[in-house]
Amino acid sequence: MNRRTTRTPWPGRLASIVALAATTALLAACGGSGGEDETDGEAAGLELVTEGTLTVCSDIPYPPFEVEDASAESGYSGFDMDIMQEIADRLELTLSVQDVSFDALQSGAVLGAGQCDLGASAMTITPERAENLDFSDPYYDSLQSLLVPAASGVTSLATFTGALGVQQGTTGQAFAEENAPDGVQLVEFPSDGELWPALQGDTIQGILQDLPVNVEHVRTDSSYVVVEEFQTDESYGFAFAKGERPNLLAAVNEHLQAMRDDGTYETIYDRYFSTEG
Amino acid sequence: MRLRRTTRRRLVRGALYAAFVAALIVVVLAADWQRFAQYFLQWDIAREQFPEIITIALKNTLVFTVVSFVGGLLVGTLMALMKLSSIRPYRWFATAYIELFRGLPALLTIFAFAYMLPIAFGVKLPFAPVGAGLLGLIVVAGAYMAEVIRAGIQAVPKGQTEASRSLGMSPLKTTFFVILPQGLRIIIPPLTNEFVLLLKDTSLLFIAGSTIFTKELTTFARDATTTNSNGTVLVMAAMLYLLVTIPLTRVVAYLERRMARAR
Repeated sequence: MNRRTTRTPWPGRLASIVALAATTALLAACGGSGGEDETDGEAAGLELVTEGTLTVCSDIPYPPFEVEDASAESGYSGFDMDIMQEIADRLELTLSVQDVSFDALQSGAVLGAGQCDLGASAMTITPERAENLDFSDPYYDSLQSLLVPAASGVTSLATFTGALGVQQGTTGQAFAEENAPDGVQLVEFPSDGELWPALQGDTIQGILQDLPVNVEHVRTDSSYVVVEEFQTDESYGFAFAKGERPNLLAAVNEHLQAMRDDGTYETIYDRYFSTEG
Repeated sequence: MRLRRTTRRRLVRGALYAAFVAALIVVVLAADWQRFAQYFLQWDIAREQFPEIITIALKNTLVFTVVSFVGGLLVGTLMALMKLSSIRPYRWFATAYIELFRGLPALLTIFAFAYMLPIAFGVKLPFAPVGAGLLGLIVVAGAYMAEVIRAGIQAVPKGQTEASRSLGMSPLKTTFFVILPQGLRIIIPPLTNEFVLLLKDTSLLFIAGSTIFTKELTTFARDATTTNSNGTVLVMAAMLYLLVTIPLTRVVAYLERRMARAR
């Protein structure tokens, strides 16, 4: 008897189970469509993930486009980040930066999941990517380049022999695949953080990579040289979830153009690329 | 109203089942499957991955796993025997080895073999960079397996050693023909576990660099994600991993049951 009376009578337990199920349903419903609709129509129709804030996703670090910088307002500086800061200022928004993996960014997953308003991560606009992401107007023309040890005697891609390092899934890789002479073995690495030590350890004999990144290497170690630059007619764009942020996309394009017109763009550009040879 | 205890129990259980099913239905209904499919399930992207995702990616993953498993088993056995040895420097070496490589993340170990070794000593490992990456995996697997194998050897009753020694077998013969076979049989479950862990750890080889022909499943999927700006191939890779690991563990469980009966 005693044991029975101390237990909650079953209608009470059933009630708590029903309550639990109802709460689950409610939460799921909110997470689904209800929550999204509430943010719609606010902040001048920009449909921001967080009101009053421009949330930007980027794969950091990738100097000189995005690096950690305690002195910067958002905690990050670099070409992409400075442009983003300027656009946020012009939209009267606070800039908030989130470091994500390039995979998650490229797959559209972080943008689709509503983690960020847009991606700014030195991303080249390609037709394949444009099928699943919306891109802003081009904001940077990327040149590819070949970095080799100064002592190697290599003067161009045509005279290159051995293993050539490229970054996984980049336009540099695509360019190398098309243009490297026969007999050159392409080795791909997840990021520049592996390409560089691989070159220093002579696992590979050269790096085909975006020019600013290679220039950065020459600056830190003059025993390497950029021997050739390649015009690939490709440009970087800011990425948006496909078809979901037309107003923000238009606003970003509008301010990019305004920045080019009033010279702000050039100021930022010179901050990072004027010294390159 | 008083209900009988069995009735009440049945009702409570029924309610619990109902709550579970309701929660499941809610989750399924609440998900935006169309959006999910847009980002992770695009059939034409999926179709483009064949046959390479099998003939290159899955094949490499399996080859790398088997190579590092066999290598790890050899290294592990050697280390286990050294750790049980009566010669002190051997014990010291084995202990240091195990503590070092069990304590370091596999990713860092692979990184060390792929980059630090060539830079520090100018050594170029064969089949670099995959060879260097595999060596890193073997070294890590060996450290884990050494402890498992040691436990297996110690689980063989002492009487087995005494019996074979008294039959006139040498200590070496005793170890290799009497103790090790019995010890290995005891540790089949943890070894299977190690195999599955290694299968997933091959995804760390990306850090060592890869060519079109040496991509394993995860690198392949990440590349395809980058090219297509879509996560479909990541989902495909996940399913392929499960396609290998789940049947494998089922088969081993079956073998274990059979062996238990045979004994």
